[in-house]
Amino acid sequence: MNARKFSPEVREALPRLILSLADTKRMLGIRYSDWLLGAPSIESGIATASMSQDEWGHARLLYAMLKDFDVDPVEVEHSRPAAEYCSASCLDEPFADWAAVVAGIVVLDGTLSLALEGFATGTCDAARRRVPKMLAEEAFHRDFGQAWMRRIGEGAEEGRERLAAAAASMLGAAITCLLPGDDEAELLAGAGVTARPADARARLARRLAEPLSALGMTPATDPPLPADWIASRRRPAGEPAGDAVERARGDRNRALFVE
Amino acid sequence: MEEAVYDVFARKRRAEPLRHIGYVDATDDALARVYAWKTYDEENWFEMCVVRRSHIIPVNRIDGPYAGRATGRLGRRAGEVR
Repeated sequence: MNARKFSPEVREALPRLILSLADTKRMLGIRYSDWLLGAPSIESGIATASMSQDEWGHARLLYAMLKDFDVDPVEVEHSRPAAEYCSASCLDEPFADWAAVVAGIVVLDGTLSLALEGFATGTCDAARRRVPKMLAEEAFHRDFGQAWMRRIGEGAEEGRERLAAAAASMLGAAITCLLPGDDEAELLAGAGVTARPADARARLARRLAEPLSALGMTPATDPPLPADWIASRRRPAGEPAGDAVERARGDRNRALFVE
Repeated sequence: MEEAVYDVFARKRRAEPLRHIGYVDATDDALARVYAWKTYDEENWFEMCVVRRSHIIPVNRIDGPYAGRATGRLGRRAGEVR
């Protein structure tokens, strides 16, 4: 369905979904980019660099969809303060170590892809056109993350513990922010724009069961909405660290923009 | 965790033969696939494959790139893992 044909309520909610997905991809790209150097091998650093660029490319495609709602994507990408970002809260700070990067790929990027799958097969024409290519690229992210999760899981106990701790710390925020079960998510699902939150969460539990079981974890996939939930930003209170937002906006290159 | 050398083969069009485009070091086949795809992403490949170098059997030479004495970027021989 063309975006202009949705009901006024859906037209109000849909840009918030798009911003949540796009901002999460943009911040995830920033967090991956911190590991272009310092990854455990040259190849893993190159793969992380490539994933970082994938995420930024996906974010730009998603931001561009805001034009259908009379929102200027250039303004959104380059001018918003951190307090208006809608990215998942577990990306507010950098990944602490490589275990956290791997947890981010499997848990957060995996949840983001699942949310996009529902969007790609829903009733929004623009998503049906644009999102499938993102998901094809994301298949390599999933394989990379799961292979590294297996590798760490078969290694020293300290590595397993750090990976399990990182995964546990991200899972609740990833689900809450990307597959929220609030009224607006139900509204969008009711219009066929996305999958039902309960169905998507059940699918995520099945998908994460095997990789997380290697760490002795059972994915609890029904976290309650936090008390400080901000529906208009689809996330709890807080914001990404300022330096990451400056990079995301391209503050230091502002004079060089050619758009 | 031991790494091995994987050779990367690719072609841009169905009508072309696969050609050797490089190699990666990886601990297993799954990571080798990802590393190859992400490292050699300068083209829109129609097909890409990876082969663990130690699985290639030289036929008529012992001094070619896939023979036992050949080494990868980190100086590893074809059949060698670390």
